[in-house]
Amino acid sequence: MSSPPVTNVAAASAGRGSADVTVALLGNPNTGKSTLFTALAGIPTRIANYPGVTVERKIGRLTHQGTAIDLVDLPGTYSLAARGPDEQVVVDVLAGRIADAPAPECVVAVVDATNLERNLYLTSQVLETGRPVVVALTLVDEALARGIEIDTATLARRLGCPIVPVVAPRGTGIAALKDAILAASGGPPPAAPELGGHLATVDPARPAEARQAIARYAWIDEVLAGVVRHGVPGARRTGAVIDAVLTHRLWGTVVFTLTMLSLFASIFWVATPLMDLIAALIDGIADRVAALLPPGAVRSLVVDGVLAGVGGVLVFLPQIALLFLFIAVLEGCGYLARAAFLMDRLLVGVGLSGKSFVPLLSSFACAIPGIMATRTIENRRDRLLTILVAPFMSCSARLPVYLLLCGAFVPDVAVGLPWLRLPAVVLAALYALGVAVAALVAAVLSRTLFRGPPQPFVMELPPWRWPRAAVVLERVREASWSFVANAGTLILAMSIVVWALGSYPAPVLPDGGAGLTEAEVRGESLRQSVLGRAGRWVEPVVRPLGWDWRIGCAAIASFPAREVVLGTLAVIYNLGDVDPGDDEGGSALVRRLRAATWDGTDRPVFTLPVALSIMVFFALCAQCASTLVVIGRETGSWLWPVAVFVTMTALAWIAACAIYRLGTALGW
Amino acid sequence: MADESDTESRFQSPPGGPTSGPTATLATTRIGRGGRVHDVRGEDAVSLRLLEMGLTPGVPVRVVAQAPLGDPLEVEVRGYRLSIRRAEAARVAVDPD
Repeated sequence: MSSPPVTNVAAASAGRGSADVTVALLGNPNTGKSTLFTALAGIPTRIANYPGVTVERKIGRLTHQGTAIDLVDLPGTYSLAARGPDEQVVVDVLAGRIADAPAPECVVAVVDATNLERNLYLTSQVLETGRPVVVALTLVDEALARGIEIDTATLARRLGCPIVPVVAPRGTGIAALKDAILAASGGPPPAAPELGGHLATVDPARPAEARQAIARYAWIDEVLAGVVRHGVPGARRTGAVIDAVLTHRLWGTVVFTLTMLSLFASIFWVATPLMDLIAALIDGIADRVAALLPPGAVRSLVVDGVLAGVGGVLVFLPQIALLFLFIAVLEGCGYLARAAFLMDRLLVGVGLSGKSFVPLLSSFACAIPGIMATRTIENRRDRLLTILVAPFMSCSARLPVYLLLCGAFVPDVAVGLPWLRLPAVVLAALYALGVAVAALVAAVLSRTLFRGPPQPFVMELPPWRWPRAAVVLERVREASWSFVANAGTLILAMSIVVWALGSYPAPVLPDGGAGLTEAEVRGESLRQSVLGRAGRWVEPVVRPLGWDWRIGCAAIASFPAREVVLGTLAVIYNLGDVDPGDDEGGSALVRRLRAATWDGTDRPVFTLPVALSIMVFFALCAQCASTLVVIGRETGSWLWPVAVFVTMTALAWIAACAIYRLGTALGW
Repeated sequence: MADESDTESRFQSPPGGPTSGPTATLATTRIGRGGRVHDVRGEDAVSLRLLEMGLTPGVPVRVVAQAPLGDPLEVEVRGYRLSIRRAEAARVAVDPD
């Protein structure tokens, strides 16, 4: 990352000198607006949110003929009739109502040459804002290939503003566009479109907004009369054939399944070696540092607190980068919208839409990239609902917990069929449990807290295109960076806090620790720490789940991440730092767990109902600080992560208690 | 492929002839067929969004495909493709070709 964008606007503005001219970039989604932004301004210099809303504020800086220009990329929108926060931000920016943001001296209206009629709808509204307008006519190469010829001179005269045709990926027309922006900035605004005559022909009984919409399209039809010539639509036919296959009942489903399988495989399996590599690198650094520093509090803080925390942040990067690479390619070629189209029916029953499918599928690998992927859902309500249920999908961090406990405590007997073993059935049931609870929660929330007027699912299916490498890479870079910069620091801070809770107060050891192994010292240290004591405090709460205080303590210590529960159990049972994930460490831990008894008795702690209760709890609980931090960042409110934590923990407790009671009653 | 869907929807259409007149909507239009938008019913945000996306009275419209699970529909209007749920398509009254 050679020039990372600064995430704080105030920090970025300091020492930067304000721009001479501010220009807003506005357009429909899928118009090549992102490509045009990159062609004009390169990598954005500032990315932040608009005050009070989670709408991304992206600003780039370019200098043309000695004039410094700030280019503000506005969210893609179809209309200026403000209904959602995105549209409201667009309206506010154009009106100069945003604090610390000057009103734009010029608006660049991005208009897709292959889709003039609908694109000009937004343009007709922009022409009414009283700001100078330049129309950037994008995708003119694609329009030509489709046999669409546009008389731009006549169109510019009828619109009353300059039109610059551009092919952004090749840089064609970019210099001319910059000239036009400078010439128009601060100049007189164009005349508003003459809608009066068209309004008069619409039924006056209709609401004003509907009459406006109908009149605008009548005005567009008039403006475009004789301006566009359609030749032989060659490329259009190719697109239609691709569409016919990909939305076909059988072939569409086959292609969809294969695409989603490879997306899932890439974040589940391709990312793993990269994550192992990052973990190994951090371990290597930790070993070096540990060798340099004398044993004690400072070494423990640096190695177990800071470096472990940094590793805990960086380890998510491969999944985030890979998922956003996949999403950017699918979005760029137009398949993401088709995937939502194919899956919509399946999700509409629980109050979601087809756009929730990719984020929810990704959450089976990890909820963090999954929650970040909800940025592709424009509808606020659907996006929030998807974020809230995504953590229920069984992520890869739950898998080691399931595998160890299933392998150790679920009897390896056949269920009905000789090859169908009980541990595998339990594993599948845990995944199904997550999906079922997510569906239930979504259905309940959409009928209660999120109830409202019907949400339109009117979604453009953009034409098939080759994805642009620059746009894809920018998407990956932006997602990775925003995770490290925004969520990473908080995750790191939390790791250090949990380290401190697990290390202090310093343990009082008999004979000053003489004769104790290092593993025994670590075990004693954890048991006497705040975390260890918390385990004893919560024992009455976890008793109904069949847990002893050690399991309670391990569950609390696993707040940073679920898989930590195994490592903590190993430390509590004086095994030291064994890796429960490898065979040796795993079997040592299993032996110790099997031998564990309730304090002062010889009654074993770990029975089948207890193992099931632990697994069900971890299937539904929110023991993942990183997920909660990302939910806070993406929703822009700390209320939501708190609500998620409380709800998921309550559901996990109830379900774990139920399975423990059931198992005990049936004598498992 | 369009032919195949067409045959299927012909079997699904109610006895007594094809849908026509003011009762025809985008939701009752066979796959591959079209007409002109007669009107968009309703006065809420959904209807306004349909108008804003270009489904205004008099504009030619065609149902291109439906998702494998039967909903939503893929519609062509003003030279582009739109995904629209059957419940929303039922608001768009169509004068069939």
